[in-house]
Amino acid sequence: MKTTYTISIFTTNTVGLLNRITIVFTRRRLNIESLTVSETERKGVSRFTIVIKSESREFVEKLVRQIRKITDVLAVFGYLDNEIVFNEIALFKLASPSGGKPIDAKAINLDWNAKVVHFGMDYVVVEKNGTEEEIGEFYQYLKQWDILEYIKSGRVAVGKTEKGLVEYLPEGNWEIV
Amino acid sequence: MGQAQSSTSEIEKNRFLTGAQAIMQSLVEQGVHTIFGYPGGAIMPTYDALYDYQDQLKHILVRHEQGAGHAAQGFARMTNKAGVCMVTSGPGATNLITPIADAMLDSTPMVCIVGQVKGNLLGTDAFQECDVIGMTMPITKWNYQVVDPNEIPDVIAKAFYIAESGRPGPVLIDITRTAQTDVMTVPFSYEKCNSIISYRPRVEPKKEHLQAAADLINAAKKPYILAGHGVLISGGEEELKAFVEKSGAPVATTLLGMSAMDADHPLFVGWPGMHGNYGANVLTNSCDVLIAIGMRFDDRITGDLNTYAKQAKVVHIEIDPSEIDKNVKADAPIVGDAKATLRALLPLIEQKDRSEWRKEFEKYDQEEYEKINKKELFHEGNQIKMGEAVNMLSEKTKGEAVVVTDVGQHQMITNRYYRFKKANSIVTSGGAGTMGFALPAAFGAKVAVPEREVVAVIGDGGFQMTLQELGTIAQSGLPVKIIILNNNFLGMVRQWQELFFDNRYSFVELQNPDFITIAKGFGIAGHTVKDRAELSNSLDTLLNSDKPYLLEIVCEKEENVFPMVPAGGCVTNVRLD
Ligand SMILES: Cc1ncc(C[n+]2csc(CCOP(=O)(O)OP(=O)(O)O)c2C)c(N)n1
Repeated sequence: MKTTYTISIFTTNTVGLLNRITIVFTRRRLNIESLTVSETERKGVSRFTIVIKSESREFVEKLVRQIRKITDVLAVFGYLDNEIVFNEIALFKLASPSGGKPIDAKAINLDWNAKVVHFGMDYVVVEKNGTEEEIGEFYQYLKQWDILEYIKSGRVAVGKTEKGLVEYLPEGNWEIV
Repeated sequence: MGQAQSSTSEIEKNRFLTGAQAIMQSLVEQGVHTIFGYPGGAIMPTYDALYDYQDQLKHILVRHEQGAGHAAQGFARMTNKAGVCMVTSGPGATNLITPIADAMLDSTPMVCIVGQVKGNLLGTDAFQECDVIGMTMPITKWNYQVVDPNEIPDVIAKAFYIAESGRPGPVLIDITRTAQTDVMTVPFSYEKCNSIISYRPRVEPKKEHLQAAADLINAAKKPYILAGHGVLISGGEEELKAFVEKSGAPVATTLLGMSAMDADHPLFVGWPGMHGNYGANVLTNSCDVLIAIGMRFDDRITGDLNTYAKQAKVVHIEIDPSEIDKNVKADAPIVGDAKATLRALLPLIEQKDRSEWRKEFEKYDQEEYEKINKKELFHEGNQIKMGEAVNMLSEKTKGEAVVVTDVGQHQMITNRYYRFKKANSIVTSGGAGTMGFALPAAFGAKVAVPEREVVAVIGDGGFQMTLQELGTIAQSGLPVKIIILNNNFLGMVRQWQELFFDNRYSFVELQNPDFITIAKGFGIAGHTVKDRAELSNSLDTLLNSDKPYLLEIVCEKEENVFPMVPAGGCVTNVRLD
């Protein structure tokens, strides 16, 4: 049974670092399920959130140590799903030609906790936040319309801990953004 | 107005260094005095700056960039300081790839300064452009592209700190031509780097980890120490000796850790691994506590991990945390520098006599001696065996030379028969097993420690991979002693074909050149010895020469190296013939 792991990597903001990090995965023939990079509340610190699936916790622990070894990496944390609050965001572009099946904006909003964020000439764009499963179910629901385009972000996640992860970064004169 | 402006910029030009000058000045202030290099278009501005720095920076012109890299490695292994090499972009840089990969695997500090095309040409497939940063990312400890001359002092300082601290390794700095020619807009100032926020190698071990390890060791009946390269890198030979003697534990050294213990020390039991000693391998699976110091449980040492030291509790002292539990699970891991850790551990260790356990190695040593050494050292034939040549070399140099080996049978034989008496005396390519390593590495080592006898032992195959560096050696005049153990085969591969591929010799026989004529062509004297009776005199000639010298020793063609633990096998399953 494969378990999902979310790896949060804090790094200094350096050109080419994404490459250095993904090499660690490639060398071990590990597929990255999703990847998100963003700035953090500390200036000059980036945060990579990488989701992987693995059968072996030990394998993931070794991977985490290999990532931590990269010179520009400040800290690495590995999580199971129950240890984090996480979400993804999806956008659906649905065809809505005149005379076609009308889009049920109300159901989308109330039943599915999603919203229509753009009305085009012959199409609408619907946005849905949620877990991968929730977005998957919503996708099934939307299939009654013609889905012109579907895109989903990688996972973002924060740990279920009292302190923010940046508190665990090495001590330094961090500037708060 | 116009005139006034141009004169201020004149003044500024004089005050502010160009990027190329900044590179030179940074190296000088870092304390570098030797550079191994090869010029070309993209690094020419820096070579031009070097012209004015010749009395402060000794530049050695190699014959191939691979030679520069291995020479820098040999230099680094002797000094424990980063070896520096400087090459041009494109092919200059790609020729450095092998030494960089080698240095990464063997934890050798190296700083490579590489020219790059002009900043505005980056990414355009310009002449001699290649993505060196991308190519070397997996094989460097750190790499960085400089496009702004102002960055140069700090980047170079950081490069040396990263290369030399923690677990050492190669660092590459890719510097665009424009960053070399542009003038800095700030005054030059150089400050050595000694900390980086994202990189904090632990030198001093944690107290609680020490106690846990000491408890295991003190309770052990049969503790067994495996000492690796980390002991030599940290300069911890004295600490190792004290630890060995107090604990009374037998000690083996890995291929790269060789010479960390005096070969004649009563507790020294040789080396473990594929061609290591019989007892050193077999008893790995009899010890109750295995104490690994500054080593990484390479597969050439462990063989099959599923049967490796399963009965033992493992104490693992290692500076690189990612090595802990990577191959062998540690019961008592200690992250720290080998020297610092051994020093801190010593007071916690009880003085013990474990000579009964040490004795268990003797019967294996005896059997190995009877079945292998005796045949190789005291045979009747006329033909020279590699073992006796190395044994004689060891005796004649009193075990005190710096021995540099290439890769193959002769490498294993050299480590079997050379009895190292002095620390930091082996330079060999272990992790990567790079043929062609020895000649340039021996040269680099000699540059670093000219007062020591440096002997390269090379196979006839490997010699032909970097023999152009004979030119570098001749030009330097340094008395590097070169031995070719010529068996007319790619011996190690032939051995595998004989043993594991049914004697099917597939492309392993060489038609060799006349090595002595080649050496002569480069201005290096030498001779060939075929007759056993001449071996001793021949080695004397080699060792007594005050110039570089090449001795070709024609050896038995189809000798095999034993003992041997077949690849992926169990360490108790040792073939003696
Ligand atoms: C660059 C490189 N290519 C290929 C090999 C594979 N290899 C390992 S040992 C060996 C044979 C070496 O032959 P030689 O240099 O004559 O030394 P010998 O084993 O005969 O002592 C080869 C081809 C290697 N280690 N390095």
